[in-house]
Amino acid sequence: MSRILIVEDDPKIADLLLSAIEKYGYEGVRTRDFRLVLQEFEQVRPDLVLLDVNLPSYDGYYWCRQIRNVSTCPVLFISARDGEMDQIRALENGGDDYITKPFHSGIVLAKIHSHLRRAYGEYAAKRGELMLEKAGLTLYLERLELQYGQAAVSLTRKEADLTESLMERYPRVASREALLEKLWDPEAFVDENTLNVNIARVRKKFQELGLEDAVLTIRGSGYRLNPSWTEAKP
Amino acid sequence: MRLFIREHALLLAVQLMQFAAILSIYWLDGYRDLPTALYAVFIGSFFLGCYLIYQYFSRRRYYDRLSRPLETLDESFQTLEDKPVSKALEQLLHSQYRHYQQQLTAVKLQQEQHLTFIDQWVHQMKTPLSVIELTVQNIDEPESASIREELELMRRGLHTVLYMARLRAFEQDFHIKPVLLPKLVSETVHDHKRLFIRNSIFPEVKVSSPGITAQSDEKWLFFMLSQLISNAIKYSAAADKTGSGQKVTISCYTRGRDAVIEVKDQGIGIPKSDHKRVFAPFFTGDNGRGLRESTGMGLYLTKEAADRLGHRLELESAVGEGTVIRIILTAQP
Repeated sequence: MSRILIVEDDPKIADLLLSAIEKYGYEGVRTRDFRLVLQEFEQVRPDLVLLDVNLPSYDGYYWCRQIRNVSTCPVLFISARDGEMDQIRALENGGDDYITKPFHSGIVLAKIHSHLRRAYGEYAAKRGELMLEKAGLTLYLERLELQYGQAAVSLTRKEADLTESLMERYPRVASREALLEKLWDPEAFVDENTLNVNIARVRKKFQELGLEDAVLTIRGSGYRLNPSWTEAKP
Repeated sequence: MRLFIREHALLLAVQLMQFAAILSIYWLDGYRDLPTALYAVFIGSFFLGCYLIYQYFSRRRYYDRLSRPLETLDESFQTLEDKPVSKALEQLLHSQYRHYQQQLTAVKLQQEQHLTFIDQWVHQMKTPLSVIELTVQNIDEPESASIREELELMRRGLHTVLYMARLRAFEQDFHIKPVLLPKLVSETVHDHKRLFIRNSIFPEVKVSSPGITAQSDEKWLFFMLSQLISNAIKYSAAADKTGSGQKVTISCYTRGRDAVIEVKDQGIGIPKSDHKRVFAPFFTGDNGRGLRESTGMGLYLTKEAADRLGHRLELESAVGEGTVIRIILTAQP
């Protein structure tokens, strides 16, 4: 269970980051007192820090230098400034990566995960492997494997992406557009047919796990995960 | 010289009348010696001439200054001769210059403040956008997609504002370095994926060779290409409401010693009469008026940036057939 410290002064963004992080099985801690970032860091002992540049007292660069004096853990900057100079400063002050606002939680999570793996090796990735749990299903996003009870199937990259979106959105509908966006490949344009084909494949994979009608088509908007098996077993 | 003559014409006339008056007084008094009289006139004219020549040469710059229009504001700061009239003129010009300078400085300062404010404001707006972007993930379809689409528009709008502000401070805001064009093209297309998907438009990227490089500023080039791509998507979508697989082709190739980035759509096209005007600020044309979020600034900013970076833009378009816009850069071998 990797622990992540969120140093962000906008309470809403901090909350939203926290919930996104926890969805993927990490433990998140928010900074409460921005004058004591370093003390909190030493108390929490996180595996990774998300650091906003603009903070009420001092700035992110300063705190990054302070953290660097005591630890080599990955520090990812989050900032609204997208100038080259800002990014250079962030990296020069010991940051490992730079995410610009407005950001999408998917990007933040992917970066968190790749930095954790780089910093702590495969062992850590295993310990806190990027996985999603919903309705008795476990999706391992690194191994591209879907587990239900004792059974497991391996998925292709595209199938895993779709399954991830469906599980993430559950109990809501994943729109066709969002799924197309997830499948987007800069090399080959993904059209409606590609989506249909891949959804059909995902359904087949669910059947291999013995789960029927796992993906419902919602006319005019998209697809929804339908965990009929959870209702069958009270 | 002409000004000087015009200025002293009356003096000459008065002098001549004086000669005539003095001579006629002597004449009527009975003194009639013509050579002496003429000699007196000659002496008088000689002194007058000397006076005028001295006057002209000692105040030549003063007359010169008065008869030639000011080319620049700085010219009013020249020093003139050390003569009362010249001094007075010099002081007048200097004080006028100072007033103008003060006003200019004030205006510049105001503009500077405004620019800084806009810049800060745009960055401040990004945080609420992030919050909405993250919150919207917990909202159900189809509202979620609709809100995200609006967010996308806001993000683009903010970018346009930011770049408009940056354009004014262009000199401090660009770094020319070799840019790998195919990489830039694919990044820009990727950045517009949501817009492509929403409008069911197919991007088609054609790169003649993966190593095409040109000297440019990456950020501005990205912005320029973004404008061209989002226009292409908009006009393709407007041309075809059925959404049956329109294509926008983005190609990158070399042409002689130039590197070319080309954005081609099969959209509604631009009427011939508007070709000249599409790059003008605030120009929206009939096309723009029929579409939302058209400020008419995108292409203007693209053109301005191209001029400053030393790139050229080419436009070919026919109504109902589509539009091709090219950015022409100097290729690096």
